[in-house]
Amino acid sequence: MMPAASTCTGNREVSARILLIEDDGQIADYIARGLDEEGFVVDRADNGRDGLFMATDREFDVVVLDRMLPAMDGLSLLKAMRAAEVDTPVLMLSALGSTDDRVSGLTAGADDYLGKPFSFAELLARLQVLVRRRTGTPRMQDTVLRCADLELDRLSRVVRRGGRKIALQPREFRLLEYLLLHLGEVVTRTMLLEAVWDFHFDPGTNVIDVHISRLRRKIDDGEGTMLFHTVRGAGYRLAAD
Amino acid sequence: MNRRLRRLSPTILWLVAAVFILQLLSSAAAIFFLRGQMLEVVRTDRVRQVLDVRDDLLATYLQGGRPSLAQMIVRQQGSAADPTVFIALTGGGTPLLSNLARVPALDITQRPRPVMVHLGPDIPDIEGMAIAGQLPDGERLVVGVMGATESRFNLAFATAGGLTIVVAVALALASALLLGLEISRRTRAIAMTAEQLASGNFGARLPEARSGDGFDHLRLQMNRMAERIDTLVSELGAVSASLAHDLRSPVARLSAAIDTALERVDEPGAIEALQAARENADGLRRMLETALEITRLEGGAVADRRVPLDLAAVAQDMAELYEPLAEQSGVLLETRLEPAVATADRELVSRAIANLIDNALKYGARRVTLRTTAVAGWTEIAVLDDGPGIAPGDRDRVVERFVRLDNARTLPGGGLGLAMVLAVARRHGGTFDLADGDGPDQRGLLARLRLPV
Repeated sequence: MMPAASTCTGNREVSARILLIEDDGQIADYIARGLDEEGFVVDRADNGRDGLFMATDREFDVVVLDRMLPAMDGLSLLKAMRAAEVDTPVLMLSALGSTDDRVSGLTAGADDYLGKPFSFAELLARLQVLVRRRTGTPRMQDTVLRCADLELDRLSRVVRRGGRKIALQPREFRLLEYLLLHLGEVVTRTMLLEAVWDFHFDPGTNVIDVHISRLRRKIDDGEGTMLFHTVRGAGYRLAAD
Repeated sequence: MNRRLRRLSPTILWLVAAVFILQLLSSAAAIFFLRGQMLEVVRTDRVRQVLDVRDDLLATYLQGGRPSLAQMIVRQQGSAADPTVFIALTGGGTPLLSNLARVPALDITQRPRPVMVHLGPDIPDIEGMAIAGQLPDGERLVVGVMGATESRFNLAFATAGGLTIVVAVALALASALLLGLEISRRTRAIAMTAEQLASGNFGARLPEARSGDGFDHLRLQMNRMAERIDTLVSELGAVSASLAHDLRSPVARLSAAIDTALERVDEPGAIEALQAARENADGLRRMLETALEITRLEGGAVADRRVPLDLAAVAQDMAELYEPLAEQSGVLLETRLEPAVATADRELVSRAIANLIDNALKYGARRVTLRTTAVAGWTEIAVLDDGPGIAPGDRDRVVERFVRLDNARTLPGGGLGLAMVLAVARRHGGTFDLADGDGPDQRGLLARLRLPV
């Protein structure tokens, strides 16, 4: 049994290195500036060839890769990278936002896929998941997930807050499990829709918000410490801080 | 074969039948006329024969007196030798009979009359024609010729007529069938092409042969029409797709600028306004995405990810996803799901269901029922609501892109939801239609997405 995390505050990844391969200067500036403000170190390439060279030459925590690039397109770059046994997580960006493009990107070895236009918050949330996956404590194998006095047993499927046993619907259980696996990280509505429901479209309504507020009432109502946090313009975060 | 028979046009069958009935009537009239003419000829012939025999007998009587006449009758000599001729001489003791068992009752006339001839006790009476006359010595001479002229003619003509009718009807049916089959064979190809055009395959064309008949003309015009539709649709598609595509980048930059501004301001009023702007930019982005997705679906530029899929499971997932939202809006979301396995794209089908549930929630339903059924080669996903419904006249229009009915203008949305569902239906070779609610109260709207198994 893995030791339980003593705390569940979001330990921000400082100075994670990001390689941004994007030919559109305006979008690249926007992403780089935002990531810089969030404390990431960003290296940039504006074409596929330079990008591939940099990705194989240096160590990065995550590569943000545009799909349409001059000199070498994103998919070929990704395949060449994986062929050279560089397993840096790749977040692929594309103006081709359809499901087909997402599937082909993921098949080629991308770890996540984001259709343009995207909000910076969405990009940031997904980047942090990839960074955490690479550098943080792996929680995937834990059978008991904890945050403060909240405890979720993945085997017996029992959820407790303090001494109180909480009855959850199967989908609520998976929602909470996902939030606990991404403790302290911002998870967006689309990330939840993809991971918990396996739907890859934007319903355009607040379906997810209603699920979250239902779950939040079951977990946080009557408690001193609120574990659910709404992150403005981005999504949700489960943490005790 | 049955299918083809059913495609025969009833109008054509009636037309062909009418032509043949007319033909039959005219043949019947001709036959009837012919019968009259022939009967007349035969009758004239008989009359002359009767008169000839009588004149012959009278000549014998005038030359040799009664004994010669009696001998001629008894021995059946001369014109009395003809077996169809019968003679009776009465009034002088024992009647002299030739070819007769009983003297037929007959008045004395100038012209021969039809009579019934009695030949013997076991032989049925025969029709004949006879004339009666008085000899100078007061005896009565009856001369006649046997022959069932009229009834035999009638029998012969009835047989001929019957045969003609049977053959004519058989021929009529056969030619109607052949004509119908040929027409339906030719129109079927045309109808199938029209069907393809209607379902969005604007490249469908008919083979053109220049034999110059009406069908060729029809095919030619059909192809010209298809060509024109194809051009218009692809122009329209290209314009809207490039418009949507070109609008995406400015919208992305707009969102980015709003995000940047949100980071920099602290004044609550400004934040609120920026958040509203952000939501609108998101709405605009979604509209553009959906419009592009519909264009891709209709253009067939979407990879085929269809797999055998239980629509009931997808519907169950969607119902579960929307149930809290429905509850929050005070709507009862129910499911009546039967297993319905179709070869379908889960992503597209779930988007279609999401759009239908969204619509029902948006337009004031209090109760929404999600159903799946499987019937004979088809699967159906139906969303029934008890909302205000859509007037029958608006139903076709409302599934077009960017069409919003007047009462929807104040609500958020881009008029793309149902167009997306229709595109998903077409992508799967299925159909999408709107109907009156079929619940117990017959209100609301029933949206049906049908996919082939």
